[in-house]
Amino acid sequence: MPDAPKNNFFRKEVRGIALTLGLVAATTVLVAVIIWQIGLSSGTVAYLVPVLIAAIRWGLIPALVAAFLGVIASAYFFFPPLYSLHITDPQEVVNLILYICVAVVVSQLATRLKSQLEMSRQREIEMRDLYAFSRRLAVAFDVADIQSAIEDHLTAVMQQQVVLFSAARDNKRRNGTAVPAEVIAAVEGFAAANRDNATGVTVNASGGEVWLVRAVSPKSPEFGLIAINFGRHSQDDSDELRSRVDAALADATATLERLGIAHAINEAHMRSQTDQLREALIGSVSHELRTPLASILGAATVLSAAPALRGETKLQALVQDVRSEAERLNDDIQNLLDATRISSDGIVPRAEWADPADIIDSALERCRGRMAGHHVVLNMPSDLPLIHVDPVLVKQALVQIFDNAAKYSPPGSQITVAARARDGRMVLSVTDEGAGLSATEQPQIWDRFARGQRHATTTSGSGLGLWIANAFIAANGGKMNAVSDGPGQGATLAIELPVTQAAVPHMESDADE
Amino acid sequence: MQMSEVSPIVLVIDDEAQIRRFLRTGFELNGFVVHEAGTGTEGIRAATLRPIDIVIVDLGLPDMDGSEVVERIRSWSTVPIIVLSVRSTEAQKVRLLEMGADDYVVKPFGIAELLARVRVALRRQSRAASGEPAVTVGPLMIDLAARAVTLNGTRLTLTPKEYRLLQVLAQHAGNVVTHQHLLKEVWGSIHMQDTHYLRIFVRKLRQKIEPNPDSPKILATELGVGYRLDYSGAETATPALATATTDV
Repeated sequence: MPDAPKNNFFRKEVRGIALTLGLVAATTVLVAVIIWQIGLSSGTVAYLVPVLIAAIRWGLIPALVAAFLGVIASAYFFFPPLYSLHITDPQEVVNLILYICVAVVVSQLATRLKSQLEMSRQREIEMRDLYAFSRRLAVAFDVADIQSAIEDHLTAVMQQQVVLFSAARDNKRRNGTAVPAEVIAAVEGFAAANRDNATGVTVNASGGEVWLVRAVSPKSPEFGLIAINFGRHSQDDSDELRSRVDAALADATATLERLGIAHAINEAHMRSQTDQLREALIGSVSHELRTPLASILGAATVLSAAPALRGETKLQALVQDVRSEAERLNDDIQNLLDATRISSDGIVPRAEWADPADIIDSALERCRGRMAGHHVVLNMPSDLPLIHVDPVLVKQALVQIFDNAAKYSPPGSQITVAARARDGRMVLSVTDEGAGLSATEQPQIWDRFARGQRHATTTSGSGLGLWIANAFIAANGGKMNAVSDGPGQGATLAIELPVTQAAVPHMESDADE
Repeated sequence: MQMSEVSPIVLVIDDEAQIRRFLRTGFELNGFVVHEAGTGTEGIRAATLRPIDIVIVDLGLPDMDGSEVVERIRSWSTVPIIVLSVRSTEAQKVRLLEMGADDYVVKPFGIAELLARVRVALRRQSRAASGEPAVTVGPLMIDLAARAVTLNGTRLTLTPKEYRLLQVLAQHAGNVVTHQHLLKEVWGSIHMQDTHYLRIFVRKLRQKIEPNPDSPKILATELGVGYRLDYSGAETATPALATATTDV
């Protein structure tokens, strides 16, 4: 359907005029009734009511129509000679002229009031958009956040579907918005050809929609390219829309420049590059370290069992040292690798239905050596519900907690491992009788590289363990918490995972046949 | 032990000379004959030229992926294959096992761990060759011919599915069996994704076969991969298996 906006405009006017007609007719009937009942000589003044209403509700033209109709109706129905537009009494002519003056002034005042009201409402919406935009910018962490904030802002300003493209974003994966292939191709071609082109190109997508592709700002390429969906419009209309887009984009660009977005984008780019470099470095160094470590550890185990060393307790002890230190180094390297995995690619859990008892047992098995000096108590019912998680990630989180408990509590003390289902959550908790946590330490233990001041010199560690555990649990939709009565009072670290009873799959009745 | 009569031949395929060296020493000290290969191509050729009893292959080889070596060797040989892998690759482990690897050991590892896996794989191979019907895992004995299960000599009553599950695990005793393999063998291919079936039946089975179901010693979980029937009470797993093979 072409000419949609113009059509809309006329339809609105016609509707206003039609309603005005009805209003004037109703007023005429009302005035007639009043004159007939009460015997008033003239009701012209009553026609100001439809003029006012039309001015406020439908604008200037219907208001003037109402005024004009008011004159006709008064002359025809109420001034002698009745039922003729001819007026004999000069007094009535003066009245009518006065009425016309008042009506025109009133209608103009009313429409101006109306447009001012609309303008302030519009401004309020704009302010709200702008406020929301600047708030999103304030919390934006990387370029992608800033870009999506710009995208939403422009969508709000232009009232059209707007998609922003830039080098920093994955142009194929748009959150929920389907962008026709032709538009993507045009964006790629545009980016390759000429970035200064401010007028842009129009693309006729296969769905019949017309898209405009252009640079957000010809001066600041950081803002990227923008594709605007004009819907199904004729060429003439697109031209009109394009001028509107130009105006809106000029405004938006001014806002972006005022807020220093270009600078922020560049800074975020640099930050992410530095991060990537650091993660890549840690990743490759850790990998390189692990390869010789496998040889060291393997060789140590061969040595410790070698017949030549049988009975050589001192040498055996040395070999044992090599072995246990290599194992510790391996754990540290594994932590670094896990940390890079968390911050570079994010964690993608492979969820499956798992038995919490299996996870606990595997984690205990893994930490058997480290917890050998402690008295481990297992406390769990035999009918724990299954949970839908990545069991390997949860196990690794538990291993970190066990490691922590063993490290910060004296040998011979008790470590209690408990599991219970409560209020739709599975809680796996580990309670030790160790160093505990002070009020200031409590919120800090989940931070990356967090190390308690009290232990910095006495116990070794990277401060990554609980941060990793927390990230692994968060990836499974769970959370962790720590409770302690204070330093030296021991601590309970707990993992909470969702148990969605409704989602627990049922077993077919013939599963056991 | 029975292996000392004829020295089993192990082929080690790893590009790291230091790893090969400690494996050679470790295996030779335990009565194995060791052949080495530094690349996948070399390894595959060595496996075709010589009689090999077991293959140890590293996943990260310079010329090809370790899984390709597994696939190529499996295409013409049933020789047991144990893969050396790094952690955090459960999906890869499952794929390797489905491709025909018998087991995996996570790097870094101790020689004792690898030797235990190797012995289990060799024993399984010889049991398969002799048509041995009974499998003993610690106090548990599964007579595959008589479909009878005893715990410390006492006959256990299992449901058909519980027995089928135990049977599949017993056929691979000592080696890990993937979730998918168990689900397919016990419930059929349409239930391949229903891991909760396994969890529930393993729990039931443990109530019957484990002295303490909370810390299982017989039916072990390999998180994210599968299950393993392996007595971990002490280093008794292999001797216990060995006695079982002699008395039936």
